[in-house]
Amino acid sequence: MSLAHYILIGLTMGVVFGFALEKSRVFEPGIIVGQMQLRNFIMLKVFLTAVATGAVVLAVMHGFGFVKLAPKPTLYGADIIGGLVLGAGIALAGACPGTVMAQVGVGYRDALVTLLGGIGGAIAYGYAEPTLKPMLLTDGPGKITFADLAGAPYWILALGLAATLVAILYGLETWRPWKSEVGRDVDGLTDR
Amino acid sequence: MAGVSLQDRAWSPYLAGIVIGLLQVPAFLLVETALGASSSYVTVGGLLASLVDPAIVQIDYVARHLTATGKNWWQVALVAGIAVGAFASMRLSGARRHAISPAWGRALASRSPGVRYAVAFVGGFIMLFGARLADGCTSGHGLSGVAQLAVSSTVAVAAMFTGGIVTALLLRRV
Repeated sequence: MSLAHYILIGLTMGVVFGFALEKSRVFEPGIIVGQMQLRNFIMLKVFLTAVATGAVVLAVMHGFGFVKLAPKPTLYGADIIGGLVLGAGIALAGACPGTVMAQVGVGYRDALVTLLGGIGGAIAYGYAEPTLKPMLLTDGPGKITFADLAGAPYWILALGLAATLVAILYGLETWRPWKSEVGRDVDGLTDR
Repeated sequence: MAGVSLQDRAWSPYLAGIVIGLLQVPAFLLVETALGASSSYVTVGGLLASLVDPAIVQIDYVARHLTATGKNWWQVALVAGIAVGAFASMRLSGARRHAISPAWGRALASRSPGVRYAVAFVGGFIMLFGARLADGCTSGHGLSGVAQLAVSSTVAVAAMFTGGIVTALLLRRV
């Protein structure tokens, strides 16, 4: 495939991704900050549903040998410190690196500033990477998965994860029906 | 599915989540990679920075993201497409948005756009710095890594929610 094909596939998939993010309302700052303040659980509902769906389709595709998995290497220091900093950024941005683009698409003006900050952060990391590498980015156990650790086939554990997530989502929905969480303006904010 | 339309203001999070999860199918089959977003910031940022500082391409990490590979530019296109899809969905539903979400007036206890822009810039900056250090974001580690049962992603996602919850509790309630 040529580069143009990859770009076309990316654009098409992105349009579907953005459409679903907008319809689910999960891109709303009120919903993302609300999730982190444990007041609104729409973000967790979308996230866990997408993980469960991904686990099922990957279990099938990998189980039948159509695809190779691509887990990221485990580097505990980088994963933990990076994750903490990323999480702090998500709370202040009211977005994550994907959803900020949905905010730009619907016309949130501050999202352009978040995007600019994001590009700046990525450039800064590019300059910092050679310095950070010997400290945080070497000597991990490699690209390990829980299927490797358990010595069990991936597809069995992936389907088990999906089933567990469905049970959790069922509980979440019973506790907090999503329609009660979107709010009158579908931005996740409840009236005061 | 009865009662679901492209013109709806909101879909059930479960329907939207299934649509997003199904995107792993073309990602793995056609592009041989998992859904992700944050690497594209290095590709675009590296390209912009190279206009001012051509020496940046001598950093291996940046050079890897700038090569004209399908995966690099597929992800840039994916992230750009998100804005187009969200715009289309919003137009179809006829939703009208504020220039800045009213959530920020509550969370920051200030209606000043300047305050919000400052927080947004800092938030975006550390969000991408952290995502690149962790080697993935909510998409690459969250959606894709956890579904693949990756140890790295499970650790990173736990840290991400910890950092997010602690920081959000310092803000006013939305």
